[in-house]
Amino acid sequence: MLDAIVIDPADHVGTALRDLPAAAAVVPRGPAGAMLPVVLVEPIAVGHKFALMELAVGVELRKYGEVIGVTTVPIAAGGHVHVHNLASRRARSVGRVGV
Amino acid sequence: MTPAAPSFLGFERSDGRAGVRNHLVILSVTGLTGPTARRVGRVLPAAIVITHPFGSGLLGEDAVIQDRAIAGLASHPNVGALVVLGAEPSKVQAAVLAAEDRGRRVQGFSLADAGHDVLRLTDLAVRAGAASLRALSADRRIPLPASRLVLGLECGRSDPTSGLAANPLVGRLADRVLGQGGIAMIGETTEWLGAEHLLARRARTPEVAEAILDAAGRREAQALAAGLDLTGSNPSETNVRAGLTTIEEKSLGAIAKSGRAPIEGVLTYAEAPTAPGLWVMDAPAYAPESVTGFTAAGANLVLFTTGVGNGYVSALAPTLKISANAATVARLDLQLDIAADGVLAGEETLDVAADRAFETLLDVASGTLTFGEILGEGDEVIARFRASL
Repeated sequence: MLDAIVIDPADHVGTALRDLPAAAAVVPRGPAGAMLPVVLVEPIAVGHKFALMELAVGVELRKYGEVIGVTTVPIAAGGHVHVHNLASRRARSVGRVGV
Repeated sequence: MTPAAPSFLGFERSDGRAGVRNHLVILSVTGLTGPTARRVGRVLPAAIVITHPFGSGLLGEDAVIQDRAIAGLASHPNVGALVVLGAEPSKVQAAVLAAEDRGRRVQGFSLADAGHDVLRLTDLAVRAGAASLRALSADRRIPLPASRLVLGLECGRSDPTSGLAANPLVGRLADRVLGQGGIAMIGETTEWLGAEHLLARRARTPEVAEAILDAAGRREAQALAAGLDLTGSNPSETNVRAGLTTIEEKSLGAIAKSGRAPIEGVLTYAEAPTAPGLWVMDAPAYAPESVTGFTAAGANLVLFTTGVGNGYVSALAPTLKISANAATVARLDLQLDIAADGVLAGEETLDVAADRAFETLLDVASGTLTFGEILGEGDEVIARFRASL
């Protein structure tokens, strides 16, 4: 069973394929095979993303080889990448209609 | 030595299209004749029964779409012979002409032809259908190149494994068929939101790019007008819990089904592509409506990915169910045609999985049954957009 997958060589993130504990040295499977290990700084749940490298604020973050959002705070290598530190460039800032 | 071009055993149609099945279809084009069509199907169980529940009183866009979709289903490449039933002679005649134009064996009967006697209508249809089944059974498959495949690409009940493996696998299958000169279609316009600029970047011409952005914008505005903010409420809370962060990420996972080919044009619902290549259909996302849009546009096969399982298949186009979720593969072993869980288990690469899946696709095109066909899960459901009179 793989720990994690990286879809495109240009990606900044890997996706966990099972629940991974903090401090685990994860070897993601990339498009060309095994990649360099990444030490997780926090637990990563299955389906969630972690940074493959240190990321500054304002980075156009790539998955599928395409930009899926912009980082809103610095993210350490092996850190959880999710709604708390990554913002959509497409979504409306006003939530649902009428709210 | 170059390897032989991929091919399958199919039915050559006189209109130049290729059938991967040779069905007798009992097609009821009005709601009033649906029960008779189903009765005929019980007498002739080899027939595929398709019933359209509406009839008179459709307006504008719906009237146009209904006529176009019925004509597309009646002349579908997997239809070897057709019996059309309907209340009004004019609606029956329209479907009969559409099928005749493309060289299909077809007979049509209206309630007026049967003196408004449903038992007599049943008798007429059974006799016509029985004779057609005999004729169909004399047709033989011949080798045809993979360029004659027309794929509809669909996903339903997706989960994180869909975007990570199953949809990229389908993208590779689409690329292979397109590389041979075939056709593929994706639809589900709302699933482009957040990635519409990427689809637009793949457009063959600036006009096509503009049409893609317009279609996505129109669908988003329609939802807003109905009080639903698709880009404000997506990904959903369930998606976020599962690890999806932004609408871009969610949509990229969905459009991975389309592979990497340039996009030739934007089709309206049930509109047939006019040239080989990848096409996008501006259409509803609900699987029965979406898949029928593809079959009415001439798709002779459908590739359908699922995360947790989705049984819907086309009645006319064999539909290969594909999942990369190991639990789903184990649970639905008699409902999935291609298991891609090995990709996420590290047992095979996407390219190796695609080699295997492409062989399965060609086998199904040559006649191997899908589980959807075996279990009789198929239907055709033409989309509705507005009120009836």
